[in-house]
Amino acid sequence: MRKLLSGNEAIAEGALAAGCSFFAGYPITPSSEIMHYMARELPKRGGVFIQAEDELAAVNIVIGASLAGAKAMTATSGPGFSLMQEGIGYAVMVEAPIVVVDVMRVGPATGQATKPAQGDIMQARWGRHGDQYIVSLAPSTPQEAFELTIEAFNIAEELRVPVILLIDEFIAHGREVVVPPKLVTKYRRTVMEGGEEPFNSMNPRIAPPLPELGSGKYLLITGSTHDGWGYRDVHNFETHFNLVKRLRDKIMLNLDRLFMYEAYGNEDPDVLFISYGSTARSVKEAVNELRSRGVKAKLIRLKTLWPIDLELIKRLGGDPKVVIVPEQNLGQLIMDVERIYNPFEYRVIGCNKVGGGIPIYSNELVEEALKVLGSGGKASN
Amino acid sequence: MEARHPTRDYVREEVLPTTFCPGCYNGIVMNAMALAFKELGIYDLRSYVFVSGIGCASWIPNPYLKADSIHTLHGRAIPVATGIKLAKPSLNVIVIAGDGDLASIGGNHLIHAARRNMDILVIMVNNLVYAMTRGQQSPTTPQGFITITTPYGNFEKPFDISRIIVETNANYVARWCIVNFPQLKESIKEALAKYNRGFRFIEIWAPCITYVVRYEGKTAGGALKEMSKKCVPLSDYEKLPMEKRDGCIAVGVFKKELKPSFIDLYKSYVEKAVGGVNGI
Amino acid sequence: MKERSVCLIGSGGQGVVFAATVLANALFAKGLYVAQLQNYGAEVRGGSVMAYVVFSESEVVNPFLNSFNVLIVLHDFNVSSWMKYLEYSNLVIVDDLLVSKNFCRAIKAPLFRKALEIGLAGRENVVALGFLAGLNVVDKDDLKKALMNTRDFEQNAKALEAGYELALQMRLKELQEFSK
Ligand SMILES: Cc1ncc(C[n+]2csc(CCOP(=O)(O)OP(=O)(O)O)c2C)c(N)n1
Ligand SMILES: [Mg+2]
Repeated sequence: MRKLLSGNEAIAEGALAAGCSFFAGYPITPSSEIMHYMARELPKRGGVFIQAEDELAAVNIVIGASLAGAKAMTATSGPGFSLMQEGIGYAVMVEAPIVVVDVMRVGPATGQATKPAQGDIMQARWGRHGDQYIVSLAPSTPQEAFELTIEAFNIAEELRVPVILLIDEFIAHGREVVVPPKLVTKYRRTVMEGGEEPFNSMNPRIAPPLPELGSGKYLLITGSTHDGWGYRDVHNFETHFNLVKRLRDKIMLNLDRLFMYEAYGNEDPDVLFISYGSTARSVKEAVNELRSRGVKAKLIRLKTLWPIDLELIKRLGGDPKVVIVPEQNLGQLIMDVERIYNPFEYRVIGCNKVGGGIPIYSNELVEEALKVLGSGGKASN
Repeated sequence: MEARHPTRDYVREEVLPTTFCPGCYNGIVMNAMALAFKELGIYDLRSYVFVSGIGCASWIPNPYLKADSIHTLHGRAIPVATGIKLAKPSLNVIVIAGDGDLASIGGNHLIHAARRNMDILVIMVNNLVYAMTRGQQSPTTPQGFITITTPYGNFEKPFDISRIIVETNANYVARWCIVNFPQLKESIKEALAKYNRGFRFIEIWAPCITYVVRYEGKTAGGALKEMSKKCVPLSDYEKLPMEKRDGCIAVGVFKKELKPSFIDLYKSYVEKAVGGVNGI
Repeated sequence: MKERSVCLIGSGGQGVVFAATVLANALFAKGLYVAQLQNYGAEVRGGSVMAYVVFSESEVVNPFLNSFNVLIVLHDFNVSSWMKYLEYSNLVIVDDLLVSKNFCRAIKAPLFRKALEIGLAGRENVVALGFLAGLNVVDKDDLKKALMNTRDFEQNAKALEAGYELALQMRLKELQEFSK
């Protein structure tokens, strides 16, 4: 049945469809509607909702609930997301599957609380101390917010990793038509039966089975460096190096499954756009417009913001005269894109706008593309 | 038959000896807990989950206790414990951490869990300093104490944490010095059995052997003797004139009630609103 | 049907987002693809608010527009932030009392005064919805249905009717143009 939902509502409904049974959160614009929805719906469905005293509590409550067997989620925005970082790093270390929604608003600090931005994509990726790898996804529509929330739970459960859903305020508060999928594939964690190490895996692509509290296995769970059985080892090089390497490999060796994208437009474009989230909506229209004017144009829209398959992007992008990376920040994804294009051969430019709730309009992108093409496109030196 | 220390039944022998300093009172805390379990007839801890923070006291359950134990971030034991309890209420959840962990960096979680009467038992080992990081001032360091960050004496007033928790909606609050071993053990038993719902808080006054006792040039034995003079039962303490209270530690059970807990109230509110089904 | 868009601008508390929500619900119930977006500040009262609805028979590819088929301005508080929209939109309607600035091309309509007249000051947002129905942007009965579950349905229905009548009385020539 079709519904008219905001991105936030779609995330809440997607979470329930994925089997989320636990939510803890702290109020913050523009994410609060997710919490409001869960406060109302979870108790009815046998789930648990609690409003935490702050975001530090929220993320750690969710980690506790996850370790005790619940599919658990929290939602926040910039300032709260910053407070949650240490907890997310802990979840990486103890391999607790959790879903954290960050509705991106204008920062830093309190910034413009009600206005959209895409400024947290690097924080989502690297916001914690130490070597740690997570997964982050970025929907472009409420429909996709619904679908990627389910995906977020599945990835979290399968890989025992925090998954961060990055949605910008435009999509979070914008209402659009959503058709919930009839059939939802729900991945459920494998639980330790005995005999297996809960923190080690022979195959680095596969997460070890989750320990189950209260099953008489006398589990040791710690955020300090630990061996496969959870015994703390804060001295030895091998224990630490093997642990962080495995935690990285668990993500990076699954790149083919984790990296999701949409490619749209000409096979071999002169103008290549690389974008994500709400911005990609304007880009799509710009691609249509450019093509109607006879310019070969293409959009590669990232649904996964981390990990990203740069080689694949390079292959999909062909041999463009110009690469444009529109973002609602001062240039974050462009740092990755610049790494794959030789600066002596290609022109990579950003198109950046953030603040005030003013989107990047498609006509601005068209003008920018035509201007660069007109001036020769490819780097000429 | 070989005589066996009662605590051994509850510890992971493979990780012994502990890394605590010689003379550390954390061992006495472990003994009190072990004896409490034994006397309650709880011979294995499979339905118990211990959650700790970061610090020396937080090492008591992880790795030493033979039970499920979760060693969380500094200050975050209570939220993690809350999540576990709410997601799986059949588990008995016990938090053990230090004064810095629970009263400073995790202070907000402590008072809010108490306000909610959350169904967990919190044991705070108050060693008066941040022991693990070399004895800096903590929010319970007495006035006048010399620590590495208060080299000219601590001029800040400490918290009386137990009194703060008494003022909240918590069901059970007790404070004992490490010398009050039998009473401490009884208190743990009470909080695990008779008063087994809602927020229960036991503060254990156990000055750090390295950064308090030896730092002041005292011996472990001497410090214990001094401590037994200083701790005064609550009822006597209240009769003391104000000027004599300084330097005394009021010990005893401050509060014991069986008010409906967070989980009790969650259940009844949700049942009233949506009829029957709920997750807790 | 080509993609169409309607934008409302006002001051916080005037119910601009509410009106956009009702409009979106009405169009959605018709089976159309709808995208509703808004831009407002942190305050619940006062401040400048903008909300718009894009609708089409096929999926809305890009809801981020800088010009609209119809733009209604209910208040000129901080309206300078939306100058571009006023410049580029097809049909611009401004309240003749609450908007004191003069905008070229804008058609003045007594939306707020109409609400006052029927004793429903503060419901100029719903009067504006009725006005849109009078412009043939949306069906009046669909709006009425969408208002059914709102608080004070009676008053809302009355305001809707008043706005509808107002548009008919004004016989705007743009009306025909828009409905083409
Ligand atoms: C966020 C953070 N800040 C600081 C530390 C460093 N740290 C580790 S233990 C500790 C103090 C522990 O004191 P307490 O809780 O009283 O435990 P004790 O060692 O005294 O038993 C500190 C500050 C940390 N681990 N995490
Ligand atoms: Mg301490």
